Amino acid sequence: MFDVLPDRVPWYVVGPGLGLLIVGLFVLANQPLGASGAYVQTAGLVRRRENVAVWRVWYFVGMFAGGLVVTHVLRSGAGELRSGYDSLRAVFPLWAVVPMVFGGATLLGYGAGMAGGCTSGHGLCGTSQRSPASVTVTATFMAVAIATTFVLRVATGGDL
Amino acid sequence: MSSNARLNMVGLLFGAVFGGLLTGANLHEYDTIHSMLRLDEPDVFLLMASAIGVSAPLLWLLERRGVVTPFGGRMSLSRSKPQRHHVVGGALFGLGWAIAGTCPAPALIMVSSGAMLGLVAIPGIFLGLHLRERQTLATLATAAHVGDGEHRDTAPSGS
Repeated sequence: MFDVLPDRVPWYVVGPGLGLLIVGLFVLANQPLGASGAYVQTAGLVRRRENVAVWRVWYFVGMFAGGLVVTHVLRSGAGELRSGYDSLRAVFPLWAVVPMVFGGATLLGYGAGMAGGCTSGHGLCGTSQRSPASVTVTATFMAVAIATTFVLRVATGGDL
Repeated sequence: MSSNARLNMVGLLFGAVFGGLLTGANLHEYDTIHSMLRLDEPDVFLLMASAIGVSAPLLWLLERRGVVTPFGGRMSLSRSKPQRHHVVGGALFGLGWAIAGTCPAPALIMVSSGAMLGLVAIPGIFLGLHLRERQTLATLATAAHVGDGEHRDTAPSGS
């Protein structure tokens, strides 16, 4: 709608902004802000579990809404329907991309559940607390993801 | 407004700003994550490092000052020791992250920005978390030993 944001807001704006947001939630609620925990609580609410942290469900809704506002209000010409995986689809047909995305997402969901957090919970909030466990998780997923990407690149003859 | 309702509004607001910031940096785009993991550009690494560079010293200082939070009691950071499940879980997460090119928050934003395969990624993440949860319930593991990510508590103390 209003074209007020650049195509990509630079890291030195978004990074410190995220840092302040993390501090803000600790100051208000003594809680790390993490996305996979919001999934867990949302699933718990849908399945009518007890002891659901409802504010994390609102957090889940908020993340979606924040993406909507930036895409459709603060940017112009964005938001048309697309796969989101153009460069993956340039290498693999759609019938292979869909199970890759689903399988990869299932793996990362399982891993986040096992590790107790994801890129936001451990990668940003845990490391900010100087937690040795979070630093271990973050170093592990970074190293494995970089190695996996390298293997995919070699396996596709450098196309991916 | 009750304390719970106010906390819910905090959740909504923080989620929206978090989602908005990630969208601004295009972290919901496969290409951004893939270029990062291919080590083609340092932007996302610098983004994460600068976020931690801002929050870590502030959290250290605020905890030392004994800040009392309105919703969660006295501020206390958690610093667990690494265990096997952190390494194995982190490795599985890294594998899936590299293949799917997305992670839990960006997958939501994929959908809100029109990238429709986010609709494939989100159920996958729910399924993976569910499979793990079923397994831990079977072994009677508690949330207490899970670590310092966001799964440490289901609700802030004192609410």
